[in-house]
Amino acid sequence: MKPPKFMYCDPDTVEDAVALKARYGHDSVVLAGGQSLMPLLNMRLANPDVVIDINRVTDLQRITRDGEVLQIGAGVRQSVLETEPLVADLVPLLGQVAPYIGHVENRHRGTVGGSLAHADSAAELPCAAVTLDATMVVQGPAGTRTIAAGDFFQGLMTSALDPDELVIAVRLPVTTRTAGTAFVEVARREGDFALAAAAAVVELAADGRFASLSVGVAGIAATPVRATAVEQALTGQPATAATIAAAAKEIAGQVTSADDMHATSAYRKHLAVTVVKRALGAAVATAQERSDGS
Amino acid sequence: MAAPDIEKPRYKYIGADRKRVEDPRLLVGRGGFIADLKMQGLLHAAILRSPAPHARIVSIDTSEALQIPGVVAVLTGEDVKAHMNPCMNFGPPTIAQYPIAVDKVRYVGEAVAAVVAESRYTAEDGVEALVAEFEDLPVVTDPRKALEPESALLHDDHGSNLGYERTFEFGDISRALSDADLVVEDTLHWGRSAGMPMETSGATARPGLNGVLEIHCNSLNFSYLQFLVANALKIPSNKLTMQPVPAGGSFGSKFTAHKVPTLAGFLALRTGRPVSYVEDRLDHLMNSDHHGSDRYYEAKMGVTADGMITGLDIDVVDDYGAYLQFGVGTHGNAFSQAVGPYTFRDLKYRLRAALTNKCQQGAYRGFGSEVHNWVLERMVDKAAAELGLEPEEIRRRNFIQQDQFPYKIPGGNIYDSGNYPAVLDKALGMIDLEYWRTEQQRLREQEGRYIGIGLATTQERSVFSSTEFWFWFDEPAFPITSSPESATITIDPTGQFQLQLHCQSMWGNSPETVSTTVVAEEFGVEPESVNVSYADTAHALPGTGPGGSRYTVMVAGAVRGAGRKLKKKLIDIAAHTLEVAAEDLELVDARVQVKGAPEKSLGLPELAASAYFFALNLPPSMESGLEESYTYDHPYTTLPSPDRTDLGVFYPIVGHACHIAVLEVDPDTGQTAFHDYVAVHDAGTVVNPKSLDGHVTGGAAQGLGSTLYEELAYDADGQFTSSTFMDYLVPTANEVPPFRIGHVETPSPYTEYGIKGGGEGGRLVTPSVVSAAIDDALREYGMRVRELPVKPADIVEAVQGAMARS
Amino acid sequence: MTTSEHSTDLDTRYGSDTRTVTLRVNGRGVTREVATRTTLADFLRDDLDLVSVHLGCEHGVCGCCTVLLDGGSVRSCLMLAVQAGGQEVETVESLSPDQDRLHPIQQAFAEEQGLQCGFCTPAMALRAREILADGKEWTDEEVRQEISGILCRCTGYQNIINAVQNAGRKLRGGPGAARDETKGS
Repeated sequence: MKPPKFMYCDPDTVEDAVALKARYGHDSVVLAGGQSLMPLLNMRLANPDVVIDINRVTDLQRITRDGEVLQIGAGVRQSVLETEPLVADLVPLLGQVAPYIGHVENRHRGTVGGSLAHADSAAELPCAAVTLDATMVVQGPAGTRTIAAGDFFQGLMTSALDPDELVIAVRLPVTTRTAGTAFVEVARREGDFALAAAAAVVELAADGRFASLSVGVAGIAATPVRATAVEQALTGQPATAATIAAAAKEIAGQVTSADDMHATSAYRKHLAVTVVKRALGAAVATAQERSDGS
Repeated sequence: MAAPDIEKPRYKYIGADRKRVEDPRLLVGRGGFIADLKMQGLLHAAILRSPAPHARIVSIDTSEALQIPGVVAVLTGEDVKAHMNPCMNFGPPTIAQYPIAVDKVRYVGEAVAAVVAESRYTAEDGVEALVAEFEDLPVVTDPRKALEPESALLHDDHGSNLGYERTFEFGDISRALSDADLVVEDTLHWGRSAGMPMETSGATARPGLNGVLEIHCNSLNFSYLQFLVANALKIPSNKLTMQPVPAGGSFGSKFTAHKVPTLAGFLALRTGRPVSYVEDRLDHLMNSDHHGSDRYYEAKMGVTADGMITGLDIDVVDDYGAYLQFGVGTHGNAFSQAVGPYTFRDLKYRLRAALTNKCQQGAYRGFGSEVHNWVLERMVDKAAAELGLEPEEIRRRNFIQQDQFPYKIPGGNIYDSGNYPAVLDKALGMIDLEYWRTEQQRLREQEGRYIGIGLATTQERSVFSSTEFWFWFDEPAFPITSSPESATITIDPTGQFQLQLHCQSMWGNSPETVSTTVVAEEFGVEPESVNVSYADTAHALPGTGPGGSRYTVMVAGAVRGAGRKLKKKLIDIAAHTLEVAAEDLELVDARVQVKGAPEKSLGLPELAASAYFFALNLPPSMESGLEESYTYDHPYTTLPSPDRTDLGVFYPIVGHACHIAVLEVDPDTGQTAFHDYVAVHDAGTVVNPKSLDGHVTGGAAQGLGSTLYEELAYDADGQFTSSTFMDYLVPTANEVPPFRIGHVETPSPYTEYGIKGGGEGGRLVTPSVVSAAIDDALREYGMRVRELPVKPADIVEAVQGAMARS
Repeated sequence: MTTSEHSTDLDTRYGSDTRTVTLRVNGRGVTREVATRTTLADFLRDDLDLVSVHLGCEHGVCGCCTVLLDGGSVRSCLMLAVQAGGQEVETVESLSPDQDRLHPIQQAFAEEQGLQCGFCTPAMALRAREILADGKEWTDEEVRQEISGILCRCTGYQNIINAVQNAGRKLRGGPGAARDETKGS
């Protein structure tokens, strides 16, 4: 299991990286953290002419606050999400999600942008992006454009990224202080991709009802999905275990993954309901704690 | 053979926690593994593997590959057919196998061509450039359908997909079941997993001096079977030297793993250059030398109203995959302890070995007895549940008692010694079952949580005899009865110890620690001061190698035997020098001294100097030097009866274990988590408690893998779906609980120091105890684990199904 | 794509199959010419003879090839050697390469029998160094979690956890403690 021959390019600016991507398009791949691409190269399931390594592009490795938006450069390592105070403070869900991404040895190399661009529907960061209404910042020869997370993930390992474009950052709205957030994942082993996982962000009204909520689910369809039916069913409803349990069932209709060796479709439906229910329950509990504490 | 009285003398070195002498080199990363071996001019091989489960090879175009700079050769089945005999094979000769497929491929991953190049990178470039054309044949995946007359055939020469069939009956099973008050029946499937060591199999072959081919490889057992590799390569056995290389784990997967070294040898012979072939993980997953057992059972057990087992009726179809390289030896293992620790006398065992389009089977820690134990314990649990008996109670009632040893089981094997109630009592004493049973109730009622308690036992047969290789057949081709192990002890001219072992026995066990501990016990030198080496096959005395938990027992016998001979020589020299009668001398703490007058003594350096340099000081006619060898053969084996109503004694050194697990099951996710796990083992005299704990824990972790996580899966079309470590789920530290381990020591009357094997017991019982705990947790839903691995989806669907029905 | 489509400057900058890479390995500066597709693992094993870096799966799951990159554990099979340029790589030899003078972490593994076949051992020892670096005390459960990215097929992990805890005690000081003198560079 050794990588095939390729032309190796390691630009040190975004502009050079984009120029290379524009030049080689479909014949090239971008090497970020390498935690997904390198196995594909080693197994020769990917055989690109050109590998564009963006690890030297230091501009991509910044985390900045821009008003009510936290901007995370595509090259930021996933393990930074676990330790960076700005992330814990402004978008706490990301810190909750990060420990579930592979193992620490993967997170030390794996990048935020790499995981998003890889667009694996069972991965944690795409799920978080969908839940948090994140915006991808992508750059191509024509300049930068933004794509809402909901539009970015288009199908099995497929995103709205054009072949000559590069994800350069993700922009995340700052989570309000009173919101409760949670992430629940079930995998065969800890560290594996999710059989199903749910991320939830909830705001409770003073009367304990759901003022707003956002629920994203991984592992059940070709893309990470927002549990819109669940969200609609609960908005304005009392945040009780009973209402959550009843509404969580709505997610079953969004499960489209076929049977595989690790999970049947019937099991995934039940599991999707379970993780949505548990994520919402945990998010409500943290929201209640935060409002009690404030 | 009556059992002599068992006594347990105290030893100075044996029985103490000792640091392993193997560890310093491993801790600095110099384990000497096969991939670390570098040679001048070494070439590397990579393999094109079949994408088709069953197909005729129409053509292989090698031209593009051969044009790649650095590619030296491409070898295919045509070359193999022209220059090789079939590989070693303990199955029918009509099921021949080569290291590269000849004419057709029979499973996904079978080797189709080998590319030899200046680097592994280039070799893989060459594999990518090969163009192979296949003509698909009908695929056989279901082992029961494989036996139907209309099924497509894997081996035309064999004429059917039935590799072997026989029904063994010991006692009278019809009477046993009709006399029973209750007969429980079940259909069970044990799924495929494998030893899956972190280091794959590998070999480096070099055409050496005098036309001798050298093969360095991490496979085990080649002091014993080297001539079979030579035969496959069509070279005289004295022109093949196999050099042992330490293995980074085996667990059965490198036991007689012959295809990798045979292939490397072939490639070296064809290219005339040294060639390394080390499987990568994808090679190993789909085409390791062998996967583990894959068996479908129909089982019946009779019990009386008071819980006494009357008999066991087994009908098993074993999915052996495409070849039958080790025959059906994994069932012989089952026969060695077919009745477990229980007294029932009637057993019927019908075996059919099916050939399908899957990788072949072979050894995995337990060698098939772990599968039988799971079936036995599943049936005992079912009987207990239907009779309303606690699991410990039904077992206690059926245990063979201490005064019954040596105990001859149905089928003929002997259990040497044991104290099964003591093991059970020790386990029960380590965990408060009453507390957990109350807690189980409380959690269920107050918190809606589900915990289950599982309890299971196992026999741990150890020290196989080679008769189990052939008692299957009425007219075996080669009915061997030797399964020896050898050791050579040398005291060099300065009094330092060299110890040579005569097989490749280092795969993560502690052959050097064990054997130097025995040297220490016999001579009073520190184990760490003894240098250990392994003989290559050109120099090796008879040695079978590790497997079947035999090595600690056997090497202890060999080293002690060599030690006795060497001690006698030392004493004879001392007697001559001191002018004292030999019987008045003793060897104490590395000195030969006069009994009762220790001040009159000679140290080893003085004696060694005499032995090597002062021939005139030696007794007349004594040979110079201080080196003695000893070959220790199986301590107790007998021939099977001609009609096979008695299979003879072939696995008589038998330990025992009892595990108790408290497991929580989440019925909505199917996930499991342990609250406690107790494991008590009796492996006879313990040589190194910490090492034995490590083997119990490691074995139990593997048992857990086979039970909950690991699966070498093929889909209905014969495609292999566990092709990476993302899908073949080896348990991580997160999945493995802390095991609390206890020991009981019932020495064997038949072995040196009373040692029994302890390498496999952990894996032999975990599947039974975890299955039982899952059933117990979800008893109200009628949960019954019938198939391994049991996956989260199986648990959730069972619960949901039961809820839908109620 | 054909070569003629490459612009000259790109060919000049990136067209070569090999690169010169300069990095620090176990405290020493290293400069080598290396094929750009060579993985860091193969570079360490084949070019620098650091065969303690073991290849168990080459797709980033088993962790036997774990090395420390600027102090953090990474899978060396999932990096190209050229990517390590300018960085510090540590293999188990950075603890001690000398069987007769083992580092406290290696001593702890020997005392607790935190190894059997030794194939995952260098990775586990490096991971132990990383998690023990700040002197924090860990619970067994935390250690279990922290080492879960490296597969061990022999031990069932318990003796490895015991070894990490033992090493932690040694490195933190107290009775029988030893100092991690090779730490930092």
